[in-house]
Amino acid sequence: MSDTQWSRFMVFQQAGEGEPLMHNGTVHAPDIEMALLNARDVFVRRPDATEIWVVSAEAIYSRTREELAKTIARSAKHDEAIPKPKLEDYYVFGKLSEQGQASQLGEVEASSTDAALEAAMEKYKDRQVLRWYIFPVSAVLKSKPGEAAPMFAPARDKTYKDQAEYPVVTMMRQIRATGHLEEDK
Amino acid sequence: MKKALHNPLAQYLIALADDELILGHRNSEWTGHAPILEEDIAFANIALDEIGHARLWYELAADLIGEDKNTFPDKQVFFRPAQEFRCLQFVELPKGDWAFSMLRQYLFDALEAQRLKGLMESKHKPLADVAAKINNEEIYHLRHTRAWVTRLGLGTDESLRRMQAALDELWPYAQALGAALPGEIELVGDSLVPSSSKTFVSWKKEVSAFLKEANLKTIEATVHEVDRAVHSEYLGVLLKDMQEVAQTEPEASW
Repeated sequence: MSDTQWSRFMVFQQAGEGEPLMHNGTVHAPDIEMALLNARDVFVRRPDATEIWVVSAEAIYSRTREELAKTIARSAKHDEAIPKPKLEDYYVFGKLSEQGQASQLGEVEASSTDAALEAAMEKYKDRQVLRWYIFPVSAVLKSKPGEAAPMFAPARDKTYKDQAEYPVVTMMRQIRATGHLEEDK
Repeated sequence: MKKALHNPLAQYLIALADDELILGHRNSEWTGHAPILEEDIAFANIALDEIGHARLWYELAADLIGEDKNTFPDKQVFFRPAQEFRCLQFVELPKGDWAFSMLRQYLFDALEAQRLKGLMESKHKPLADVAAKINNEEIYHLRHTRAWVTRLGLGTDESLRRMQAALDELWPYAQALGAALPGEIELVGDSLVPSSSKTFVSWKKEVSAFLKEANLKTIEATVHEVDRAVHSEYLGVLLKDMQEVAQTEPEASW
């Protein structure tokens, strides 16, 4: 049977002006424009969002610290003979703790993903990166600043879409303990 | 605003609200059944938005006719018989397949976009404010449904066939979107609401061009039924489902 699953896109989200974007999850979509729309619906509800990016999972080059420890030594010798292709800008994200999401570190300019990774490791060498994520700036579809209101504002006043609005667990615990629910309002 | 126009404007708003409510309820029937998880969430959001818009219109209407805006929406939604609803048959039709629901939502969103432009200019300030708030969500709805119409129209033979079948069925019903709403004729003169026939002309121009680009053909259609007091057989079934729980325990608080 053929695979009918749509392609995978990684979703990065900024929770406030000036903050780094964070990896927030993955959506499936037939193309990148739909991925952005799906990302809005699936992830924007919580926490607050000011910007979202989507990138095809295939466009992301990702390596863990352990993988790099093995491969860098092997690929240390680069073919200097190959003419340098055009330089491109790459975004660099890094997972900084076991539990945390990948966070935006910055940008590097390089002629390939491998070169971008090397440049990133040099540029951000004082960060404790457990896993690197590198992708070309050109592979990203971003929400437009002009669309921020329809993209993000509606979710803000809709507290009923927030799971914190439904304290079912607390209520059940109270019912089990006391046999009834305290009406505190 | 003239006192004599309060009631006509309330009737106008209730009709708008009924369209949003019934379409929102129809769309909610996809929850748990949409073709893919992400779309399930997205379309449930859109359904919820439309029902939220219905509430806003009912509340505005309540203010105009001296009703309690906290209880009026629930009374309208859960305790009115079918013959008192003022929605179009266009929104009553069963959800059909995915193509049908997407196309209907697109046609409705495109009409709302045009109408909201006029409502945002309303001389009744509370109405203009609510229209602006709703418009903010509708921009996104339209983007979402336009994306689907294009992809299904230009997709596979099957998706095109289903879209064309949906359009053939919906188009005659959609023509009723151009008919004046209850109270409208008195309200247009005082710049309280836009003229539906003018809104409809802009809508038809935009929608026809967009559908054509998606490889879909509109046929010349006669208006199906413009009287908002005349309902299809489907409305009663929908209301029975929607009102059953509330009517079983009318005094319950939620």
